[in-house]
Amino acid sequence: MKALQWQGVNKLAVGQVPDPEIRNAGDVIVKVNRTVTCGSDLHLLGGYIPFMEKGDVLGHEFVGEVVETGSGVRNHRVGDRVVVSSFIACGHCYYCEQQLFSLCDNGNTNPAITETLWGQAPGGCFGYSHAMGGNPGSHAEYIRVPFADVGAFTVPDAVTDERALFASDSASTGWMGADLGGVKPGDVVAVWGAGAVGQMAARAAVLLGAERVIVIDRYENRLRQAEKFSGAETLNYERTEVEAELRERSGGRGPDVCIEAVGMEAHTPGAQFLYDQVKQQLRLQTDRPAAVRDAIHACRKGGSVFVLGVYAGFVDKFPLGALMNKGLTVRGAQMHGQRYIPMLLDRMASGELVTEHLATHTMPLDDAPTGYRMFKDKEDDCVRAVFLPN
Amino acid sequence: MKPMTRAALVITATAALGGTSYRVITRRRRSGAAPAAGRRHVITVNRPLDEIAEVLPEPLNAYHGTIEVQLRAAPADRGTEISARALDDKVSDGDIRRLLRESRSLLEVGDVLQPGGPTTEPTALNSALRGATRHGREGGLL
Ligand SMILES: NC(=O)c1ccc[n+]([C@@H]2O[C@H](COP(=O)([O-])OP(=O)(O)OC[C@H]3O[C@@H](n4cnc5c(N)ncnc54)[C@H](O)[C@@H]3O)[C@@H](O)[C@H]2O)c1
Ligand SMILES: [Zn+2]
Ligand SMILES: [Zn+2]
Repeated sequence: MKALQWQGVNKLAVGQVPDPEIRNAGDVIVKVNRTVTCGSDLHLLGGYIPFMEKGDVLGHEFVGEVVETGSGVRNHRVGDRVVVSSFIACGHCYYCEQQLFSLCDNGNTNPAITETLWGQAPGGCFGYSHAMGGNPGSHAEYIRVPFADVGAFTVPDAVTDERALFASDSASTGWMGADLGGVKPGDVVAVWGAGAVGQMAARAAVLLGAERVIVIDRYENRLRQAEKFSGAETLNYERTEVEAELRERSGGRGPDVCIEAVGMEAHTPGAQFLYDQVKQQLRLQTDRPAAVRDAIHACRKGGSVFVLGVYAGFVDKFPLGALMNKGLTVRGAQMHGQRYIPMLLDRMASGELVTEHLATHTMPLDDAPTGYRMFKDKEDDCVRAVFLPN
Repeated sequence: MKPMTRAALVITATAALGGTSYRVITRRRRSGAAPAAGRRHVITVNRPLDEIAEVLPEPLNAYHGTIEVQLRAAPADRGTEISARALDDKVSDGDIRRLLRESRSLLEVGDVLQPGGPTTEPTALNSALRGATRHGREGGLL
C-alpha cells in the first residue's frame, strides 16, 4: 500500500510499504479516510527526536473505517466509522485504570529507550518514532490499531469525518490541558500557541467556564481563528508586551491557568531565540523552552501551568525560582485521548466544538510532502494539512 | 561460587492481612540456596495477589529452575509486586526484564502487544536503533 515515509531529516516521500496485518487479537485494521499533520510531526521531521528510521510511516491523527477485526475485538465491526486516539493504551493497567492512558504500561513494545531517558516509559503512539513503539502511522491507506476496544471510537452519524478527525489528537490534547490544568468557572486562562492544539485548549477553557481566555501567537490568521471558533481574546507577541498585557487583563494578578501549546521549537523575538537555537544545535539543550519560561513567569501566584507542547530532553534557563517561590503547580502530559474522545464527539455532534476550520488544506496522500512543507512554513496560512489516502 | 543451576523456582508470597503478615512458599524444591549475584528486578502488576499466586504466567514458568520469583501484595492493595532474580548464568538481566514485562501484560490484558511493520530497511545508520528495538523489552532500568 501507499504511505508517507520519513526518509531523513526534513525529507519525506510517498512510497510502498507492506499492508498491515492483525498481530494481536485486540487489533483492527482501519482504512484511513482522513489523516492530518500535527505540530508533533515537525519535531520528528526536524530530527529533534532522534529515534526515527528511514522508511518509518508518519501520522497519528486520523479517522477511517474498520475493514478487519481481530478475534478478541468486542466493540467494533467491519464497516464501523471510527476515530482513534493517537496514544495506544491497554485499558487494564494501573495507569489506564486511572484514566492516564498515555502512561499505559503495556502499550509500548519498546519501553527501553524512554525508560532509560526519563526513568519510566510512557505508552506507545502511532507514527511517532521507535521510542514510542515504532508503530506505523496513519499517513497510509490502511493502519493497524492495537487495543481497538479501548482506543477506537465509533463516530456518531451526526459528526462528519472532517470534524471527527481532530478528536483523535488535537481536541483531546487541548481538552486535557484545560481539564488537568484545573480550569474552573471564572478563571482567566492564557494559552501560548494558536495552532490546532492551542485553539482546542482555548475552546475547552471557554466550555469549562473560564471568564477570559487569551491566546498568544504571532500568526494573525491563527489568532483570528482562535477568536472566531474558540471564542477567545488574542495577543500577537510580536506587537504587544505579552506579560504586561496579561497582567492588565487579569486585574494585576496574572492568569490562573497558563497552557503551553507550542513545544520544543518555540520561536522568540530577539536575542533569546538565537541563544536557544545555538544551544539546541550544539546539543547543549535539546529543546527550546521559550513559551514555558513565559508561562511560568506570567502565571499568578499559586496558579497552574500545563505543558502540552512536546519536549524531549533538557532545557536551559528554566525558571525554577519563579516556580518554587510563586507556589505554582506545573504539569504536563502526552494526551489521554481515551478519556476525552466520547465526550468530545458528543460536543462535536451538538455543535459546541467545531474543528473543520483547522483543515486549511486538503489533498491526496501523494501530495503529503508538499502538505508538510506548507504546514511547517505556514505557507498560504496553512494551519493543518489533511491527506486523503483512499 | 557458581550460581545454583539446579535450584528450583521459588515462589514466596507475602501479604499483610489485618495487621499480621504471612508468608506462603509453594513449589519449593530446594531451600537454603544462596542468592545469585544478579540483582532483583521488580514490577507491579495491577491484579490481586491471590489471583497471580494461583497460576504463574507462562513466561515465568518457562524459566522454571533458573530464576527465583517472589510475589508480594503491593501497598494499599495496588496490585501485586513480582520480583525475579537469576539463579543461573545463562539468564541475563535483559531476559528477566522481558519476562516480567510480558508477564505483566499477560496478567493485565491477556496478551502481549506485538510490534507493527516493519516499513524500514536495514541501513548503516539505523543498525544501532534496530538492534535496540529488537530487544525493546529487555533494556531499560527495570
Ligand atoms: N501533549 C500531547 O499529547 C500533544 C498532542 C499533540 C500535539 N502536541 C504538541 O503541541 C504543540 C502544538 O501543536 P500544534 O499542532 O498546534 O503545532 P503548530 O506548530 O501548528 O502550532 C504551534 C504554534 O505555536 C506558535 N509559537 C511558536 N513560538 C511561540 C511563542 N514563543 N509564543 C507563543 N506562540 C508561539 C507558532 O507560531 C504556532 O502557531 C507541539 O509541540 C506538539 O508537539 C502535544
Ligand atoms: Zn499530535
Ligand atoms: Zn494500560
